[in-house]
Amino acid sequence: MILLKIISKRFMQILTKNWDKIDPFHIDTYARSGGYEALRKVIREMTPESVVKEIKISGLQGRGGAGCPTALKWESAAKTKAQDKYFICNLDESEPGVYKDRTIAEKSPHQIIEGMIIGAYAIGAKKGFIYINGHYEKSAEILTVAIKQALEKEFLGKGIMGSSFDFEIEIFRGSGAYICGEETALINTIEGKRGEPRLKPPYPVNSGLFGKPTVVNNTETLVNIPFIISRGAKIFSGIGMKNSPGTKLFLLEGAVKSKGIFEAPLGTSVQELIYNSIYGGGLEEGKEFWFAQIGGASGRLMTAGNLDQLLVYGPAEYPLGCGSILVVDKSMDLKDFLVSWSGFFHRESCGKCVPCREGTFRLHEIAKRIRNNDLLPDDQERLEDILWTLGNTTFCPLGNFAATAWKDAIRIFGDKIFKAA
Amino acid sequence: MSIQKILIQYEPVPENVLRAVKDVNRHNGYLSENDCEEIAKYFSWPLARIYSLASFFDEIRIKKDRKIIIKVCSGGPCLMEKSQAVTRQIEMLLKLEAENDGSPKYKLELMSCKGLCDRGPIVMIGDQIFEKVNPENIDDIIKDYL
Repeated sequence: MILLKIISKRFMQILTKNWDKIDPFHIDTYARSGGYEALRKVIREMTPESVVKEIKISGLQGRGGAGCPTALKWESAAKTKAQDKYFICNLDESEPGVYKDRTIAEKSPHQIIEGMIIGAYAIGAKKGFIYINGHYEKSAEILTVAIKQALEKEFLGKGIMGSSFDFEIEIFRGSGAYICGEETALINTIEGKRGEPRLKPPYPVNSGLFGKPTVVNNTETLVNIPFIISRGAKIFSGIGMKNSPGTKLFLLEGAVKSKGIFEAPLGTSVQELIYNSIYGGGLEEGKEFWFAQIGGASGRLMTAGNLDQLLVYGPAEYPLGCGSILVVDKSMDLKDFLVSWSGFFHRESCGKCVPCREGTFRLHEIAKRIRNNDLLPDDQERLEDILWTLGNTTFCPLGNFAATAWKDAIRIFGDKIFKAA
Repeated sequence: MSIQKILIQYEPVPENVLRAVKDVNRHNGYLSENDCEEIAKYFSWPLARIYSLASFFDEIRIKKDRKIIIKVCSGGPCLMEKSQAVTRQIEMLLKLEAENDGSPKYKLELMSCKGLCDRGPIVMIGDQIFEKVNPENIDDIIKDYL
């Protein structure tokens, strides 16, 4: 039994297995722990088609939030015929409470690069970008060094490992805008345009950066790739849930005892993440659980009765998003959170569509009135109107995100919010 | 550094436009109309496209602002670490109101997450980031900065 536990614990470490064991500034330490073995296997033994097939069998889903099957993107991009294709790693994370991609880049940069090279091989891209959040100075520095070292070792550049496959990676630094994490907005920024989302279709896999087929994958998605290739898709799909395989980085924050990033199989319940001693270890001394917010500022609110919900990708009552769990205790004031959410989306709304630009603006006004206890007589009605509009009519999901937590707050704590007025 | 010296480092391709814009902004503190014109000429783009790009991002300024800008993170994790109290303390110390541009010397804004949630609350003064700020040490941080 104990042995079994050790094995399953070892298998659970896909994303964090190199953390604090390798030196991010030295490629050799990564190579010694099995790094670039998967790339060697891909170059020597596999065709691009078989790589895509392997990822398809693994059932890997995008870790950026939406949970779109990774193989679907790769397959479409591989099938689209074009001279140039691009492979982009999305490291723009700016969801409040999420810093997992930054940590991956700081602790295991080559794992990202290896995942990118394999992806580029599968779709036939010759050029890749790592789109880094403009504030992540250290990540950018570490990745710059990592790319240089990978070039020296011929894992990047012309004729990778003696094959005829060429691939180069360029670092692109964003400039602090939440919406640029959306793939089409991200592509627009690289092209030197405003970071506004594009209408889909065409999807980036058919017509993305400079009109060429482009795959945009989240950083955490990519660090799964070397494991899937070297250990086999079957082993990967055996971890976690059947429809949502693999492990995930969960970020525990707020009133929990041990805060930070934890790797756990998908399908772990919120209850376990908060209270199990290998994860959160319960609430801080003297604090009483009130609610938890799942998936950053755009996430739903979970009350004590729903904590047994399993966190998975795919259709779920509580979407897990990018994996952050903010535990809020009863000493906090809900009104501060309302202002925090509306303020965030009001600042980050890109302004392209009216429902979101005006909706988030008015929502923030009402939030401030709620905080200052000077609600106008019709505010409750207006609020419902705004939330419906945000939830149903905006151009991209940012508008829906702005309404998600608010809707829950009103449904669960509505009396408290309006009674105080 | 003159704008030409900055621009010459970049090959005039579209993926370098934002890089050049950010670089000029960092050196000059903002983008003047002349800067935008020079960038537009260098990349052979219409001036309007440079403006539309530059005006999109919060961190790129297209107006000269002499005020010292202080920003407090308003994200959930920082809120849990009492960033609200830090905002109040700054309001009292500098005698101004957050998100209200009334003070002649300072501007206090709330900002979006910088991905440093494990070291919060986060406060930014100018370009400098301060971690683990609390109502007790914020006075000294501001006084040291000024």
